Amino acid sequence: MSMPGNQVPLLAVRGLKKHFDQRLILNVDRLALERGQSYLITGSNGAGKTTLLRVLAGLEPAEIDSLAYEGVSVDTGDVVRQLAPRVIYLHQQPYLFNTSVAANIMFGLKANGVPRHLHKTLLEEALAWAGVQHVAHVSPHKLSGGERQRVALARAKVLNPAILLLDEPTANLDEDARQQVNHLIRQMCDNNHCVVIATHDPELIALPSAVVLRLHHAMLTGG
Amino acid sequence: MELLQTTHAAIALLLAGDEALWGIIWISVKVCFLALMLAAPPAVLMGFALGNYKFPGRRVLIVLIQTLLALPTVVIGLLLYMLLSRQGPFGGMHLLFTQEAMIVGQAVLAFPILAALTLSAVQGADRRAVETARTLGAGRLRETVTMLLEVRFAVMAAMISGFGRVISEIGCAMMVGGNIAGVTRNITTAIALETSKGEFVQGIALGIVLVLIALAINFGLALMQGRGEQR
Repeated sequence: MSMPGNQVPLLAVRGLKKHFDQRLILNVDRLALERGQSYLITGSNGAGKTTLLRVLAGLEPAEIDSLAYEGVSVDTGDVVRQLAPRVIYLHQQPYLFNTSVAANIMFGLKANGVPRHLHKTLLEEALAWAGVQHVAHVSPHKLSGGERQRVALARAKVLNPAILLLDEPTANLDEDARQQVNHLIRQMCDNNHCVVIATHDPELIALPSAVVLRLHHAMLTGG
Repeated sequence: MELLQTTHAAIALLLAGDEALWGIIWISVKVCFLALMLAAPPAVLMGFALGNYKFPGRRVLIVLIQTLLALPTVVIGLLLYMLLSRQGPFGGMHLLFTQEAMIVGQAVLAFPILAALTLSAVQGADRRAVETARTLGAGRLRETVTMLLEVRFAVMAAMISGFGRVISEIGCAMMVGGNIAGVTRNITTAIALETSKGEFVQGIALGIVLVLIALAINFGLALMQGRGEQR
């Protein structure tokens, strides 16, 4: 929540409100995400954690007074087209396109016009980073939950996003898979990415340096 | 007993490679295939647009497509006949009683099936797919192509259903094709003609082919549905 010194935050949001029917789900006065900082957004089930991440990614419409990325104002009517892939959202159960693991990781490279001669190297690096080289040419439906989560992380990381929004990334994973995913998330945090994680149980995410924000009665507190 | 003998004769006719018989089958398959090729691109795009975007007139279009699904083939044939006959607005194109007229007619018949099934496939598609494409930086064109690829098995199933509808219809083919031997006589119009003459062997042989095609179509559909469910 803090804005230390004169540093311009990576993403600054003011006056964010989200209603579902008549019910106010989010009422966030001010939120600033800093480069290299990780955040844990906690709160009970149904508190609006997922909605907050989706609004920040531009996948969910909301009333926003002002939104700025690196100090530059963003049109709140079309957030996703302006911020993607600098801001990437991962679903709680990530969706992998019905192609192959390698094609999934290459998706963003092609979509963002990354020069073709770089694809192979970037793909191999991403596969190795996530430890999924052995399933590179496998169809996603054959992967375990942990592998799917790692492939989705690799697919995002290959685009070098400034902000990664993760929705309960370790929920429904067994202990081994959780540790592997946690390891990847820590690496993303160490590499100066801003990682924002929604979780109902901060114990599941071993990130001692993270700023913990609590979402309660639509308000965000802590930090 | 007579039915059994006729069926034997029909199978013998098929196996003997009777030229007239296989010519009729070829015309049917060719016309249906080309009709599908003509109808599929606009129908799939319309189904996709109706399923993915909100725009004025969308609901009216959906109701129209659903109405066209239920329209008897002979009514489509009648409308096309009036359009293509010498006094009609397209009479100068001399298309009546040609394979081209049959292709257009069957494309009109296939269009609502392809559009409606693509629409339901897109509506049933996982919302996360389009969101994932967007958050990974896909533009509108790539987003559309990605969604179509994600529902490709359902779209292929729609094509197979469309083929099933047009290969088995008779009303439109009879009216705009005219059942001319070697030109526009297809499986269904030939069966009707042979039966009216009291000659059942060729009719039954062609009926067997239609049943086999229906069987192949349903195997194809089952395979597509299996693929689509793998996610």
